[in-house]
Amino acid sequence: MLNQLIYDFALWLDASRWSTLLHESYYMYNWVETAHVLSLVPSLGILFFIDLRMLGVAFPEVPATTIARHLRLPMFIGFGLMIITGLLLFYAIPVRSSQSVWFRLKFLLLIGAGINALVFHYRMQQSVGSWNTAPVAPANIRAGALLSLLFWSLIVICGRLIAYDWYDCVRQQSGLINLFAGCIDGQSQF
Amino acid sequence: MLFSFLNSYRRSIATTALLALALAFAFSSLRINAWEAVLPLFEWMETSWFGVIGKTWGGAFAVVQAIHLLAMALSGGAILISNGRLLGLLLRDQPVQTILIKSHRLFVISLIIAIISGVFMACGVATKIIYLPVYWIKMLALTAGVLFTFTIKQPLLADGVENLNPWVVRAAAVASLTVWFTVAATGRWIGYSG
Repeated sequence: MLNQLIYDFALWLDASRWSTLLHESYYMYNWVETAHVLSLVPSLGILFFIDLRMLGVAFPEVPATTIARHLRLPMFIGFGLMIITGLLLFYAIPVRSSQSVWFRLKFLLLIGAGINALVFHYRMQQSVGSWNTAPVAPANIRAGALLSLLFWSLIVICGRLIAYDWYDCVRQQSGLINLFAGCIDGQSQF
Repeated sequence: MLFSFLNSYRRSIATTALLALALAFAFSSLRINAWEAVLPLFEWMETSWFGVIGKTWGGAFAVVQAIHLLAMALSGGAILISNGRLLGLLLRDQPVQTILIKSHRLFVISLIIAIISGVFMACGVATKIIYLPVYWIKMLALTAGVLFTFTIKQPLLADGVENLNPWVVRAAAVASLTVWFTVAATGRWIGYSG
């Protein structure tokens, strides 16, 4: 049921003129994908430094709130660019992307990373007064930072694997893969 | 007078001369001879362990690609933060030296990871990339970035920025951002070429 809805939505996107134009434009598609990859630098590059600060690896002598406050803006600009270009990449190839096991796994990991970021932010707000200048954050904050590093590393790996077609619906797959990928019986578009 | 002036900038002059030579080489007919000379090396790379693994297991190649991207993100973060501080855009209330030293350490570690994973990836497609101009542009940009960082920028800033002309510091930051952006962008473009 849900897979059918996703498939219908992807077909509807795929039928739009701009989706085809973006997909078929060699330079435009590549520029968008390049911007998506390069947005890793201001987004993840800076997020990694914030996480590593909590773990005591990067800038242990700089207060945690100073790092978080000063680096937040460029990091959010990076994430903004990443989200916009990511949506455009999905829009360019909606059917195949929505039925990619790697894309679906990446989407679940993104939700996990988002929840972890909210919990991390809440915990930090609650307790930072007592450890702001300490070189290493308390255990629960360190756990959040480690989870963040893990989530985002897996997200990048899944993002990279989307390019490979091993588990695409167009190939013969096991029932489990068909279910997770959301392959529809008799579908004519991939 | 002239010699003492040149002596103060000998590292910068030597690095610039080396890069100018590399550029002249890249745009001259000597490049064709060098191309033929390095072809056996690239053929060997494809038959090495890295090459065989990269060609045989697509999954391994993809995971190493992702590690390369993560290393690029971390090194890029270090470049953004250190140059952002030099330009007075980030962490303005923190001492410049603290930010530069700590970010440089992580930059070096991530650069080493990026180079090792990059060599692995190159081995898997060695006989393809040797014919790609964008691959050689990336190698040229990478050489420029490494030379600039280790022979000009780091020694220049090693004793602090207080006694340096602020415009020299800003120029070093902008040059660093430009050269490393070129390395990352041309690297991405290798995937679209050939």
